[in-house]
Amino acid sequence: MTSYQEMFLKADINRIYDEKYRENQRVKSQERFVRSGNKKIKAKRKKSWFVKGMGIDLPFCLIILVLLIIGMIMMFSASYPVAYYTMDDSYYYLKRQLIFAVIGVAVMLGLSFFNYNKLHKIAPFVLGVSYAALVLVLILPANNGVHRWIGIGTFGIQASEITKFAIVLFFAHWGSKYYNKMELAKYSILPGVIIFGTTAILLILEPHYSCTAIVFVLTVLMLFISGMKMKYIAIGGAAIVAAILLLWITGGLTYAMTRMDGWGQALIYTNEQMWQDTWQTRNSLYAIGSGGLWGLGLGQSRQKYLYLPEPQNDFVFAIVCEELGLIGAVIILLIFALLVWRGITLSLRAKDKFGKLLGIGLTAQIGLQVILNILVITDWMPNTGISLPFFSYGGSSLIMLLAQMGLVLSISRTANIEKQ
Amino acid sequence: MAKNYIKYHKKSDVGPNQRLRRRTVLLILLILVAGFGAVISRLAYLQLVDGTYLQEKAVEQQLTDTTINAKRGTIYDTNGKVLAQSASVWKVVLAPAYFTSEEQRVEVAKDLASILELDEKNVYEKTQQKSYYVIVKRKIESDTREEIIKLQDKIEEKYGISNLVQLLDDYKRYYPYNDLASSVIGFTGSDDQGLEGVEYQYDSYLTGTPGRIITAQNANGTDMPFQYEQNVEAEDGNSIYLTIDETIQSICEKYMKQGLEDNAVKNRGVCIAMDVDTGAVLACVTVGGYDLNNPYKLPEETQKEIDALPEDKQEAATGEALSQMWRNKAISDTYYPGSVFKMVTASMALNEGVVDDNTTFFCSGSMTVADAKPIHCHVTSGHGTQNFTQAICNSCNPAFIQIGQLVGIDKYQQYYQGFGFSEKTGIDLPGESEDIFFDHEMTSVDLAVASFGQGIAITPIQMITASAAVANGGYLVQPYVVRQIVNSEGNVIQNTENKIKRQVISKEVSDKMNEILEYNTTTAGANSGYIAGYRVAGKTGTSEKLTSTYGSEDYIASFCGYAPADDPKIAMLVFFDTPTGASYYGSQVSSPVFINIMSEVLPYLQVQAEYTNDEMQYVDTVAGAYVGLSVNEAEQKANEAGFTVTVKGEGEKVTSQIPGVSAKIPNGGNVVLYTDGSSDEEKVTVPDLVGYSISEVNAIASNSGVNASIANAGSSDVVSVSQDIEPGKEVKPGTVITVKFATSQTLND
Repeated sequence: MTSYQEMFLKADINRIYDEKYRENQRVKSQERFVRSGNKKIKAKRKKSWFVKGMGIDLPFCLIILVLLIIGMIMMFSASYPVAYYTMDDSYYYLKRQLIFAVIGVAVMLGLSFFNYNKLHKIAPFVLGVSYAALVLVLILPANNGVHRWIGIGTFGIQASEITKFAIVLFFAHWGSKYYNKMELAKYSILPGVIIFGTTAILLILEPHYSCTAIVFVLTVLMLFISGMKMKYIAIGGAAIVAAILLLWITGGLTYAMTRMDGWGQALIYTNEQMWQDTWQTRNSLYAIGSGGLWGLGLGQSRQKYLYLPEPQNDFVFAIVCEELGLIGAVIILLIFALLVWRGITLSLRAKDKFGKLLGIGLTAQIGLQVILNILVITDWMPNTGISLPFFSYGGSSLIMLLAQMGLVLSISRTANIEKQ
Repeated sequence: MAKNYIKYHKKSDVGPNQRLRRRTVLLILLILVAGFGAVISRLAYLQLVDGTYLQEKAVEQQLTDTTINAKRGTIYDTNGKVLAQSASVWKVVLAPAYFTSEEQRVEVAKDLASILELDEKNVYEKTQQKSYYVIVKRKIESDTREEIIKLQDKIEEKYGISNLVQLLDDYKRYYPYNDLASSVIGFTGSDDQGLEGVEYQYDSYLTGTPGRIITAQNANGTDMPFQYEQNVEAEDGNSIYLTIDETIQSICEKYMKQGLEDNAVKNRGVCIAMDVDTGAVLACVTVGGYDLNNPYKLPEETQKEIDALPEDKQEAATGEALSQMWRNKAISDTYYPGSVFKMVTASMALNEGVVDDNTTFFCSGSMTVADAKPIHCHVTSGHGTQNFTQAICNSCNPAFIQIGQLVGIDKYQQYYQGFGFSEKTGIDLPGESEDIFFDHEMTSVDLAVASFGQGIAITPIQMITASAAVANGGYLVQPYVVRQIVNSEGNVIQNTENKIKRQVISKEVSDKMNEILEYNTTTAGANSGYIAGYRVAGKTGTSEKLTSTYGSEDYIASFCGYAPADDPKIAMLVFFDTPTGASYYGSQVSSPVFINIMSEVLPYLQVQAEYTNDEMQYVDTVAGAYVGLSVNEAEQKANEAGFTVTVKGEGEKVTSQIPGVSAKIPNGGNVVLYTDGSSDEEKVTVPDLVGYSISEVNAIASNSGVNASIANAGSSDVVSVSQDIEPGKEVKPGTVITVKFATSQTLND
């Protein structure tokens, strides 16, 4: 038997099993419903505390708004000294971020009515757009030595923001289209290597290493949930661990750390260059450490007084830790965790695979960025520019983020319907 | 085949949807448990375990520690006159790291250079540094400060940079008396640290403790909006009261300077005045001092010599010249004391009982000891037979060789140590030297020369301390210049206690020596230290120098004495190093200076003058104030003071007088009182007063209607040599003419 025949046979069996499983679930759910005492089955709708009809998932939406508000307050608190000293206006960043947040929320709610399935077909086109954007930034003049921004009027957008979305979208498209063939390397490893490889080359040319890392993790993540063989993941993971170990043993790791702007050496600088390079990370650590368990109190950060450069951007969470302490930081992280949890679980209930994969991918991306951001501000990852969703200042990325959340909300409309 | 697949899937019980579900659960676990877990534990570690350390480091950089300089203590003379004081000044500090453009650098450099009177190019170079602290100029005064403040405002307004130019508190040391007591007081360096003299020796007392201001500041160095400030007040330095008396010091310096000029002294001179009982130094002069307010300025002549040198040698020469200028000759230089030392040798002999009034010594004009070449007496024909007192008054070297032989080598060394010559005196000044004794076992020849003060090099402070011991009943004291230290609130924190090291000779011997040395000043000649009305004990000395720099005959002329002889209070040593004038003898060079100083110092110390009848005729009295009194009253008052009175004019009240108030006129001199303007034009002619005895001078002056003030009259056996107003000149009646006297006979030494 050729592998081709084998595959079709396998798909057949899968279908049989799926139907059996669904049947089983349906029976179970109806039994539960009957047990609950309500004998009238009025609508073919799953019972929900929050959602009526084809509504959006309210808890998820609320979590987003809560994070947005907390993020806004903390960004303001972190940014006002620097805004005062450099812009002569303490509210400089707050005002702008507020405008973007309003636009973003509008976009989010608007997109929640958008039928995300329309993206299914145009996913390859979006990926193409992302490539075009990545090429475009390389042509455009560099800003601070890096090619990242595409200017649109007075505002700009980072090409990588489009790329991250495009990668998730494309692999959701690909994964749902070839869901049953994902165990084959040809449908998983191959597109993964090609798309990540080409994107990575363009990103490294910018250069934008942190986005390269995020794209890598997102690619693996999407292929993983789409059903790529665990074997490949295990091999890939083992290879990465082995490479790190090898570097560590040969001492190359320390060299690499030093080269990467003194990554991991913020507190043990040995020369002035290193001291300069690790200035931001070191002051981030000072801020975090100063917070202790309970923090200095909202607005009481000292490190934001020009010690920590750009406290409104990637390092906003260091100021959060200083002002709100470990308690505040953990509460905020738990809210993020709740968002990830809710986002992924609601996506799982989406009516189609594309929705499931897209929703999971977009939500996981947030969790991923939170983790990577904190690893950066705590000096466990090189300082390469990973913003904290909902917290870091930045108009285009906030709108992009809320738009993506709008898509998840759109997916959520199908998640709470009892599927036939 | 299909069966196998079904079987396989049954085992794993995973359908495609379950696969997604399972993998999603795995993903959630990965993100939430592994990812968030790692992140939270990392944060917890940083905030709880490393928190204290990180917080310390953060606070360290947020708090700025500014040092406030403590005000250096004041140095007073014994009566509380300020000799050295610190006043507030400022230093201008630039933080060039704040510059944002080249244009700013050029402009600020230009402004600073013009305000601070600096070279623009140098200031511009400072603006190029990447630093927050570059000192542009130190110790600027308040008017310059005002201009800098204006510049600060201008920079702030123009460029919006606030901390570019800063003014920091500083202190400047002022010395109100310039070069007075320079070798004792010393001066401070640019960091307010003492470099010489008392400033150096008592630096730790004077310095005080700097204070600190700790403020929370942002990374640009401006204060944060929240309040965090902690001040540790600077504790100002302690103030010091010296034993030096500004009045006595001034008197000494005045006459020492004159002596230096009159005798063309090549290598400076020293005058030390000491309280014989306590060792307190009342005055300490190294003549040819330097301006403490400008201690790096060399005398013009020296500077010219250095400028003439090749450039590469100038720096070394300047350093050498400066250290020479700063050197406190009174304690750092050694010299052969010469005949002055005879008072020590004589004390030894008396204390050992090897001589008495009846012991006689024969001088043939020279004496041979062992196989050495003969040692000559200054009177080549010899003094013949002399008793002990005569030997001292004749300053006869052969007699002292014999006295030395009577004492013996062992005892001589014992007393040499006893009088403190073999150790530092321990005076509280830096740079004291040790004596130079014979570098070999002392021989009889050594003893012979050492008996009259040759071959043993000692410091001036050692000599005067020993003479104080001779005078005060035999007690060797430790000399000191700091009497008391008070803190900034004025509370006494330390009083110097008199330290008596030991008794070297008995009270009786001391009394005997006082008697002999007083006799010496009254009989040995006009310039042996005799001061009319006072009982002075003393001894002259002329010693050959150890090494000859200025010629084959380099001498040190010195005089050491004390007064009053019956109850000595103050001892004084005057010595000039290498006089090249008319005479190099101690009696000619140093005695007159000693006499001049003592004549002023003793009245100042309220030692009552007691004149003999003989002395009365040439002793000056101070004219009283008669203006404003009625003619009768004025006449009565002048007569009571012992003056004769001439009244000119017809008025009832005295309108002016000659001599003026407090002018010195001889006892019995003539005071002319004017009662109206009518006699203003009246003049008398100054007579020739040179070449007469004291009584003759007085008579001539009186006849001519002028007064003669007698100067330098050591005894009645003198002749007038000069007068300060030339003969034939027209002056107002009663004008005082100072007439200098000198002895015609060659003096013993």
